[in-house]
Amino acid sequence: MAAGPYNYSYIFKYIIIGDMGVGKSCLLHQFTEKKFMADCPHTIGVEFGTRIIEVAGQKIKLQIWDTAGQERFRAVTRSYYRGAAGALMVYDITTFIVRSTYNHLSSWLTDARNLTNPNTVIFLIGNKSDLEAQRDVTYEEAKQFADENGLMFLECSAKTGENVEEAFLDTAKKIYQNIQDGSLDLNAAESGVQHKPTTPRNTLSNDQPQSKDGCAC
Amino acid sequence: MEAIVQEVVKPEDLKKFEQRFNEQCLRGQPSATAQFEYAWCLVRSQSPSDLRKGTLLLQELFHKTADETAKRDYLFYLAVGHTRLKEYEKALKYAKAIQQVEPGNHQAREMTAYIEKKMKKEGLIGMAIVGGAAAVAFGALAGLGVALAKK
Ligand SMILES: Nc1nc2c(ncn2[C@@H]2O[C@H](COP(=O)(O)OP(=O)(O)OP(=O)(O)O)[C@@H](O)[C@H]2O)c(=O)[nH]1
Ligand SMILES: [Mg+2]
Repeated sequence: MAAGPYNYSYIFKYIIIGDMGVGKSCLLHQFTEKKFMADCPHTIGVEFGTRIIEVAGQKIKLQIWDTAGQERFRAVTRSYYRGAAGALMVYDITTFIVRSTYNHLSSWLTDARNLTNPNTVIFLIGNKSDLEAQRDVTYEEAKQFADENGLMFLECSAKTGENVEEAFLDTAKKIYQNIQDGSLDLNAAESGVQHKPTTPRNTLSNDQPQSKDGCAC
Repeated sequence: MEAIVQEVVKPEDLKKFEQRFNEQCLRGQPSATAQFEYAWCLVRSQSPSDLRKGTLLLQELFHKTADETAKRDYLFYLAVGHTRLKEYEKALKYAKAIQQVEPGNHQAREMTAYIEKKMKKEGLIGMAIVGGAAAVAFGALAGLGVALAKK
């Protein structure tokens, strides 16, 4: 597992937003390390993680900024929204933010919409789905909120890993689809996507995964 | 951790939070929030005088608050600021202090490891270009460490 020269054709920037304690950092950690952090302290400012994934045969590097939910950080973390191609908006299914107000999720959504670009893919995640007994937000009401606002939606568990891959990957698929159909302009400032020029070897054998040992020694 | 420590603030953000802070100063005592927001931007600047100013504002905040979580946050950005100023000894002290407030904090652990790596790396470079007695001694030790580790 040497840190060889990574080979990817796109970089997508993601942000993870939502109230403190809903499990944003645990989701990131589960996605990048495949582990659950049981006693995770509140994030200081922002955390950062990367992982390379594959969508439609293309290697894509995800650069993920996980923002702190504590109020103290709110104003400055907003500047990290700029140029995000994907925004994961997380709530906790055991606390009733959706039903009680709609306000919390709505205000996160308003922020996300105002501070990103029109093509940013926003994915709503209902985390802690393993805590079924303590559930306070039904799948249906969250799904309705997502549909009304044109968001993608899944319930996940950072603890068991359920649907975590899916949420990150489905977001990437949607972004990639937006690139393919031309609705996301890569040349636009702050599209949140960088296209890496492929190496000549890559263009010759486009569908072949590049062999690590295939150097002309 | 590299991405966090080396990230550079956007000039318009620095300006925005600077204005907010200065306005509050003119009216009297600035709020801790405004001071922290400005300091957080300053310690991500590329200008050494901004970095210096940011660390001073954070120190002041640190001494004024009794809130442990707030202290932890200030320590973290003190570590960032001093790392960027290449004052690694100080940075390390702050990063380690977080672990006393919150044992097992992974961000503090990664920060500590990052600073130690920087010290080791730049210690070796120091030997090559500075040539001072202390630098040579430290460099030689670090070099020995690397040589042993490679076996
Ligand atoms: N049962 C269960 N607990 C979880 C899950 N995800 C996170 N937690 C717990 O919830 C707490 C908060 O998780 P974090 O990931 O730190 O929350 P956060 O959203 O990053 O919080 P801030 O950094 O303060 O914004 C931790 O103690 C986690 O162990 C989950 O899927 N299931
Ligand atoms: Mg967090």
